[in-house]
Amino acid sequence: MIALYRHGTSALHRTPAAVKLLALIALALLISLWPHTGPSLAITGGVVIALYALALFPPTVLLRQLWLARWIVVLMVATQLIFLTPWDALANTVRVVAIVLLAGLLTLTTRSEDLLAALEAGLVPFARFGVDARRVGLTLSLAISMLPVVAGIAARVRDAQRARGVRLGPRAVVPVLVLALRHADDVADALSARGAD
Amino acid sequence: MGEPAPAAARTEIILENLSVELDGRRILDDVTVRLDQHRIAVIGANGSGKSTFARVLDGLIAPTSGTARVHGHDVVRGLRELRREVGFVFTNPDAQILMPTVAEDVRLSLRGSGLTRAEIDARVAAVLDAYGLAEHADAPAYSLSGGQKQLLALASVLVREPHLVIADEPTTLLDLGNARRIARHLLEELPAQLVVVTHDLEFAARCDVALRFDAGRLSEVGEPARVVERYRRDFA
Repeated sequence: MIALYRHGTSALHRTPAAVKLLALIALALLISLWPHTGPSLAITGGVVIALYALALFPPTVLLRQLWLARWIVVLMVATQLIFLTPWDALANTVRVVAIVLLAGLLTLTTRSEDLLAALEAGLVPFARFGVDARRVGLTLSLAISMLPVVAGIAARVRDAQRARGVRLGPRAVVPVLVLALRHADDVADALSARGAD
Repeated sequence: MGEPAPAAARTEIILENLSVELDGRRILDDVTVRLDQHRIAVIGANGSGKSTFARVLDGLIAPTSGTARVHGHDVVRGLRELRREVGFVFTNPDAQILMPTVAEDVRLSLRGSGLTRAEIDARVAAVLDAYGLAEHADAPAYSLSGGQKQLLALASVLVREPHLVIADEPTTLLDLGNARRIARHLLEELPAQLVVVTHDLEFAARCDVALRFDAGRLSEVGEPARVVERYRRDFA
């Protein structure tokens, strides 16, 4: 799920990307490590709702983010119920969904270029260990951009199956992979043409 | 290694005995040509080698033998300098759009340009306005229509103000209105030299010179109306 930037003038929109990124990391650590009880889970949910309200988004934005996270909920609840108590499964699921929603809020209120600039600045100290901050930033941008492209390729393959009246089932992954790899070749050419190393 | 080729004039494209083989197949065969015209059209059937010719000029494909110098830069040894001067517009804009949103994609082209943020903002705004994309600046690039994506791809190339623009079938995916808009811009307003690979023979006929490829060989170079007319006749 990639929540792209939604234009706005709220305090959250105006907050520098680096501050929001650090706040997200701090909140994610707090939510992950806190030994949750019923009230603390409710407070976690309340904080998420309050932050979305602070961004001046209509409630539908939060609901859409929740809808996009539905498979995470299903997967987490289903797998954890095998090994954990229902309460632990619920607590862990709320933790993860809250963090996913907060990460979504970060991308909804921050242009990805500002976010990447903050990430790149944060990675500069790691240059001595061989980390190329610009390259990491570009790679992350590309990853974000390519997700809808791959989704589009999958939709094209699905439509082609329907048009020809065939169902490839799990084998449909083969044409999707082939087209995705071909697209990767084209992107490599485009990167070269734009002077990227 | 022999004597280096004499430096070419800044607007010249010089190919000497250039061949390209891919997977054992000869895609371009012994091409020799010298071009200094402003608008250069490249026509030919599918698989004739015209896209490979365009890619060689931007160093995307290295020649198997022979040499190519573009605006004074060898396409193999002077690749870094060449890329600063040349912009390439691909047929499929999906492959060329690299950033999540419209403005970010244009902005990517100016990374490392040395311009200030304000200068970059101004240039990006101007080019988006020129291509009718200003209202989509913060929109996800993938949500644009095919025509708008091609306009964005072109805007992302032209914002760098290259000296040479190479366009590989830039109007193929556009509707009539957008195709004419792009053609008019490339032919009448673009200050840079243009090499355009196209199946649009009207577009080709309006250039200053036309090249025709057949089965990897450069079969004709000359006055566009004449080259186009002969090409039409051969397929009649």
